[in-house]
Amino acid sequence: MTATDAEPILQVTDLEVHFPIKSGLIFDRTIGHVRAVDGVDLSVSRGTTYGLVGESGCGKSTLGRAILRLEEPTNGSVIFDGIDVGGQSAEQLRRLRRRMQMIFQDPLSSLDPRQSVQSLLLEPLRAHGLSEADRDEYGADSPKSHLAKAAGMLEVVGLPRSSLAKYPHEFSGGQRQRIGIARAMILNPDLVIADEPVSALDVSVQAQVINLLEQVQDLLGLTYIVIAHDLAVVRHISDRIGVMYLGRLVEEADSDELYAEPLHPYTIALMSAIPIPDPDIEDARERILLRGDLPSPANPPSGCRFHTRCPFRQPTRCHDEVPALREIEPGRRVACHWAEDLRAGKLQVTDIELLVEASADQGRPDAGTGPAMSETRH
Amino acid sequence: MTAVTTRAEGSAGPDQRSLLEIEDLHVTFQRRNGPATRAVDGVSYQVRPGEIVGVVGESGSGKSVTSLAVMGLLPPRGVRVFGSVRYDGRELLGLSGGQMAALRGRDLSMVFQDPMSSLNPVVRIGVQITEVLLAHQSMSRAAAREEAEHLLRQCGIPDPRRRLDEYPHQLSGGMRQRVMIAIALACKPRLLICDEPTTALDVTIQAQVLELLKELVTELGTAMIMITHDLGVVAGLCDRVNVMYAGRIVESGDRRELFAHPRHRYTEGLLSSIPRLNEDRTEPLRPIPGTPRDVVGWDDACAFAPRCRYAQDDCIVGGLELVGTEHPDHLLRCVHPAPYYLDAGAGHETDTAGGEDR
Repeated sequence: MTATDAEPILQVTDLEVHFPIKSGLIFDRTIGHVRAVDGVDLSVSRGTTYGLVGESGCGKSTLGRAILRLEEPTNGSVIFDGIDVGGQSAEQLRRLRRRMQMIFQDPLSSLDPRQSVQSLLLEPLRAHGLSEADRDEYGADSPKSHLAKAAGMLEVVGLPRSSLAKYPHEFSGGQRQRIGIARAMILNPDLVIADEPVSALDVSVQAQVINLLEQVQDLLGLTYIVIAHDLAVVRHISDRIGVMYLGRLVEEADSDELYAEPLHPYTIALMSAIPIPDPDIEDARERILLRGDLPSPANPPSGCRFHTRCPFRQPTRCHDEVPALREIEPGRRVACHWAEDLRAGKLQVTDIELLVEASADQGRPDAGTGPAMSETRH
Repeated sequence: MTAVTTRAEGSAGPDQRSLLEIEDLHVTFQRRNGPATRAVDGVSYQVRPGEIVGVVGESGSGKSVTSLAVMGLLPPRGVRVFGSVRYDGRELLGLSGGQMAALRGRDLSMVFQDPMSSLNPVVRIGVQITEVLLAHQSMSRAAAREEAEHLLRQCGIPDPRRRLDEYPHQLSGGMRQRVMIAIALACKPRLLICDEPTTALDVTIQAQVLELLKELVTELGTAMIMITHDLGVVAGLCDRVNVMYAGRIVESGDRRELFAHPRHRYTEGLLSSIPRLNEDRTEPLRPIPGTPRDVVGWDDACAFAPRCRYAQDDCIVGGLELVGTEHPDHLLRCVHPAPYYLDAGAGHETDTAGGEDR
C-alpha cells in the first residue's frame, strides 16, 4: 500500500509548467510567467490511488494535464511505465494515450451533446481498437465486438443497455459522470487521472460515483490520480496524498498518516478548515484560519511560498530560504523548515490572530499547538 | 454563540416572538406549455430574533426559492406564490414593490452564492455600499463613505479606504464575498438570509467567511437563515436545522439532536453518504440510490420513497404531515423513520411501525 514498496508506474521528476503572460498590441511581448506547476516530484505505484489536493489556483489540474501531456511541460520529465512521455512523437503519444485516460469534472461539457452514448463510447474503440485482454473476450476489432464491449462497459458503470441510444442531456449529472467514466475505462487503461470527478454532483450522488470508481479500480486493477479540492473525498479514495500549494508539493504521505498527523502548517490549516457534520466536533475543535488569499502564482512569495499566510512563521529563514520537500521518515515528505519542531510541539503559533479557539463553553486548554488539533477530533 | 437563543417553549405552532414566520408557503413555476413545477410545496418554519436557522437540501429541493419568495425577489411572471410570510407580524406576500424595497436592505437582507454576479462590475465598491446606506438612512454622503469604510474594516478587508475606489474585479473571490456581507449588514438588518455564501469559495476562505458571519451576526444580534447543501457548514453554525427534499421540509430539529439522531431516511442517508475526515476510510460509503430527479409528487406518496431503502407499501400515501417525535422539538415527515435511540446507546427502540406517525 505504501508507495515505496511497489514498483512505480508513474515517475514525475522536477516537472514545471509555466504559462507566459503576454502584453502588447502588435508584438506579443512576454512580460512574465505564471508558474502553475513549479518543480514537482512524485511517484505513483501500480494499482494504487494518488490524491492531489489544494485550493483553486494551486496548479493541481495543470499538473494532471501535464502528466498526460495535454499541457506541454516547460521542464522536467514524466516517466510512465518506463516510457518517457515527454520524448514521444505525436503518433507514439497517440498510442500511449490508450493506456492513460482522463475523467473530467463537468460531464456535461466534456461529452459532446450531439453524440449518442453509443457513438461516445465507440469513438475511443475506433481510434485505438480493443485492448488485448478484451480481444480474447469479444473477438477481433469489428463494429459488433465494439458494441458488445460498450454494452459491457455500461453494465460495469451501472447504466442500462438502453442508454446506448440516448444523448447526454437525457441523463442526470451522476449518470453523465458514469458515462464519462465508462468512456475513460473502455480501453482498459493503466492510469486514469480524475480531475474533480465528483465536485459537480449533488451530495447524495457523490458517494455513488466514489464507490463506482473504487469498484472499477478493483475490477480492472487501475492506477488512479484523483485531483480534488475536497480533502475528505481525497482521503477516502486515496492511498497516498500530495498536498499542493502554489505550484509545489508541500506535503506527501499515506492518507491515514496525513490525517492522523499533518506536518506542514498548510495541511494543518486546510484540515482544520473543513467543516465536519458533527456539532460536537465542530464546537470542540479549534480552527486555524489562514490570513488573506492565495498569492499570485505569477509572482510567488520568496522563500517558503506559504510564509505569507503561515500561522507558525518564524523570523528570517521562512522568508529567505526555499524549503526542500524532504523525507522526514520513510514515506513522509514535508517541505517545511520546522517540520520536526512542529511535530514535537515546540513551535507556537506566532500569529495568534489567525487562531480561532473553540467556542467558550467547551474551549480546550491546550489550544495553541497546531498538531494538537488532530487529537481533538478523535 | 449558541447562547443567543433560548428555546424553552415548544416547537410547533407559530410563536409570538418569531421574527419571521413562513407558513404553508407554495411556489409554482408555470410553464407556457406543460405542467407547472412545484418548487416549494408547503413550507413552514419560524426564525426567532438572533437565531441561526439552517436550511439543507440538494439542488432542486426548493431551499433557495423559499428564500427568494421571502425576499420578494421572484420574477413577477409565470410564478405563483401563496401561503404566508410574516415578518415581525407583518404579511410580506402581497406587499407592493415599493413597500418591499423599503424593507429589503434595511430589515431583511441577503447574501448570494456568487459575489461576482451579484456585485455590479462597473460600479466602484464604495458606491455599492453607500447606496444602501443612503437609501435607508438619512445620512450625508461623507458620513456614508465613512461608515462604508468602517463596514469593510469590520468585515476584515485590509486597507478599506483604498478598496472603496476599486471595482469588483480587482478583488479576490473571498474579498468580494466580504463586500457582499458588508453591503448586507450595512443597515444592521434584523434578518440575514445567506444562500450558499461559501459554495464558490475555497475551504480556507470558506472558514474565514463563516467565522466572520458568525461573529458579526452574534455581535449585531441579527437572525440568520443559512441555506446550504453542506451539512458540515450547518453543524458548526446553526441553532436549528431544516432538511428539505422536493419542496418540503422532511425533518427539522435542534442541530445537536438532528445530527446525533437523524430520523428521516433522507437525512440519515445524506449523513452516511459523505466521506468524513474523522472516519475509517476503508469503510465504503453508503450512497442514497437514484438521483434527486427521481421524485413523485407529495400528493401521492412520500416524495423520497423512490430512493428510500426502507420504503414500503404504506409510504405510497398522500398528505404526509410534519409531526412531532419522541424528542421535543424534533419534527419529522416519514412513515418509517429510523428508530429512536436514547443516549444510553444500548438502544431502547421505540415503536417505529408507523401507525402513530401517520
